Amino acid sequence: MNDVLIAVMMIVLTIITYKGATLVYQRFRRMYTAPIILSTVAIIIFLLVCHFSYETYMVGGKWIDHLLGPAVVALAYPLYQYRDILKKMVLPVLTGTFVGAVVGISSGLLLSKWTGFSELIIYSIVPKSVTTPVAMSIAESSGGVMSLAAVFVMIAGIGGVLIHPAVMRVARLQGQIGRGVGMGSASHAIGTATAMERDHLEGSVSTIAMVLSAVIVSILAPGLTLLLL
Amino acid sequence: MSKAVTIILQIIGLYLIYLLGTAIQHTFNLFIPGSVIGLILLFLLLSLKLVSERWITEGAGFMITHLPFFFIPATVGVMGYAYVFKGKGILLIFIGLLSTGLVMGISGSVAQRLAGRREKAHE
Repeated sequence: MNDVLIAVMMIVLTIITYKGATLVYQRFRRMYTAPIILSTVAIIIFLLVCHFSYETYMVGGKWIDHLLGPAVVALAYPLYQYRDILKKMVLPVLTGTFVGAVVGISSGLLLSKWTGFSELIIYSIVPKSVTTPVAMSIAESSGGVMSLAAVFVMIAGIGGVLIHPAVMRVARLQGQIGRGVGMGSASHAIGTATAMERDHLEGSVSTIAMVLSAVIVSILAPGLTLLLL
Repeated sequence: MSKAVTIILQIIGLYLIYLLGTAIQHTFNLFIPGSVIGLILLFLLLSLKLVSERWITEGAGFMITHLPFFFIPATVGVMGYAYVFKGKGILLIFIGLLSTGLVMGISGSVAQRLAGRREKAHE
């Protein structure tokens, strides 16, 4: 098959799967049916069954991936619309995100240290709660593995979407500020996408938390790692 | 102009801001990704009224409504790493989930407590 045909096929596959997942989600409203989770699982199963590699999928997938950049830029729009409310919430959002960054770095590090994993893996798990490119560069500069760091970022993102209804029930997060900070600091852009599906104010808070978290974690990670390891 | 054309043109606009963000990142050797710099840039442009809200409403609205879609190629990428989680490695998934849950619950609680009464006023 030539590349153009494969590309079109993979893009159509992704669009149809996403559309289908959205319909299922609207029908069942359970978090394991969130479009991001359902689509990812369905596409992976399809690729495995048909013996397609990830590289083959990305012949088409890279075109969608190219649009991820402008999609993140688009988050500025709801942020701008809610600027007046958000201005009043600077302190809660900043403090919550800072605490989240410390909890994320230290719990990831200590849990994997106590269970006896190698430093290579520990360094890769430390930056998991921030957006992929930032996490990869933090892991790289501390001696972790970049691709492994990206996998942990996905676990924090997809996993966060999966467990967030339970976590929010236990922690009694009811308002958009608490929920948004939780989603953005724990599950970066994937959490933000899910928060945005529910409520644009919650999504905007999550956007801020995600951006702040990327900055705070990159500053704190080297020092905290040195201290705890 | 049809709605589809408007959306496409506006997404091209967002793409240009993303490229500008990437250029800034590379020029100044920043650790913040170009997309996030673009996000901050667009927010500033909107705040300074250099970009009108009307120029991006449809395009940005479309991308935000379908935000999870754009992550699919990245998330499908985990399929190549199943070997990491074989045997003892399965623990890493639980560690990742536990740590993520702790971050979410604690950061959210702190923010919610501090937001307290101020937020109730908006609901």
